[in-house]
Amino acid sequence: MLELRHVTKIYQTSSGPNVVLRDLSLTLPRNESIGVLGRNGAGKSTLLRIVGHAEAPTAGEVIHHGRVSWPIGFAGGFNGSLTGEENCRFVARIYQQDIDYVVEYTREFADIGRYFYEPVRTYSSGMRARVAFGLSMAIDFDLYLVDEITAVGDKTFRKKCRDAFAARRERAGLLMVSHEVATLAEYCTRCLLLHDGTAELYDSLAEGSAAYEAKVAA
Amino acid sequence: MALILRETRTRFGRNRLGYLWALIEPIVVTFTFYGVLVVANRGKPEAGMGLFAFIATGVLPFTLFMNTVTRVADAVTSNKAMLYYPQVRPIELVIARAALEAATFIAVFILMMAGDALISQRLEIEEPLLVIAGMLAASALGTGLGLVFCALGQVSTIADRIRGPLLRPMFWVSGIFFTAHTVPDNARDAMLLNPMLHVTEMVRAGWFTGHDASYVDFGYVLWWIGGLALVGLLLERWVRRRIDLS
Repeated sequence: MLELRHVTKIYQTSSGPNVVLRDLSLTLPRNESIGVLGRNGAGKSTLLRIVGHAEAPTAGEVIHHGRVSWPIGFAGGFNGSLTGEENCRFVARIYQQDIDYVVEYTREFADIGRYFYEPVRTYSSGMRARVAFGLSMAIDFDLYLVDEITAVGDKTFRKKCRDAFAARRERAGLLMVSHEVATLAEYCTRCLLLHDGTAELYDSLAEGSAAYEAKVAA
Repeated sequence: MALILRETRTRFGRNRLGYLWALIEPIVVTFTFYGVLVVANRGKPEAGMGLFAFIATGVLPFTLFMNTVTRVADAVTSNKAMLYYPQVRPIELVIARAALEAATFIAVFILMMAGDALISQRLEIEEPLLVIAGMLAASALGTGLGLVFCALGQVSTIADRIRGPLLRPMFWVSGIFFTAHTVPDNARDAMLLNPMLHVTEMVRAGWFTGHDASYVDFGYVLWWIGGLALVGLLLERWVRRRIDLS
């Protein structure tokens, strides 16, 4: 279960404060897959970083029981001058996992060949996504936070991601950000719509995306 | 711990040569100054000090101090990606870098002094504890000041820009080329406001027989260390929530 209580996030910009999330309170049941919709800058990635405790909210608190992943996405999480393998070792170490298992699982899952032993900064975004997603699947989390990355990759890889996650559906939840409703539909049952600093939870993705279309059009 | 391992990898690159380079850099600096002073025929600064050891005891604590300031000041900015993991806290990035810098320099120091002793067939360490205390003080001063810059750097870009000009004069007033004893009386009190001069004096007093430590005020250095750490940690608390990941 995940609970947000009166969460507000304000970024200071040169043109004054920017309120990204305004007094957001919601409760998300456990083991559910929720897709997060919202236009650019609506606070989707910010929400993920706050839920993942990577960033502190300006006000309010986040409460959850169980292990939450880091926000799995293109930005962050990897050190560019280290190889994919070394990054995996680092993450395995800080999450106190069996290092060899995590490295082996990720190597196989990512399937990027010798690039696994090259510095991450030489990776294409697709390769980064493969390693990031594989790495997160190598560790058992109760809630996975996924930012965009499943939208990349070829058909086989996307199927692999879906299968890997389906195997965890029983015991893990998902909070996934994407611009593409189609991608969210592959994973998520419910939908969280972010708009103007507030959030609304819809029971089906169809309802959520309909509301999203309406808001974007407006 | 994992952070220190990771820092080691990024700092020194992926091959063994990288670590070697970290050892070589201060050695090259020491030799350069050694060469310059020999050519300038400045002679031995004080009776009983080998010129090479004299330069080394000045350059090494100072370089440790400077490198620590620089590395610590950039610790958060260049490691933002790591803050995606909630178990990684900014202060730990700082500590990891400071610890790695200190460990490297102590290794360099031992290596160079062993080399010097082998060549000159003479090893005299008057007070090893004083040498170690001096090196640790240089590291602690560097960490404290670096932390202050690191925290300020999160709220303003000015902090990074003034760091260089602010620190560069330190090179000339920290006793690398002179001892407090040889400074004219009227300038000495002002010079001794600089805690790094105390550190250099400490290391030398510990290293050389007969070098007088009477100008060293360790308590004064501790006040600096404590003060910088306090200011740095308070600033860190203040900016912690403002670190911008996006």
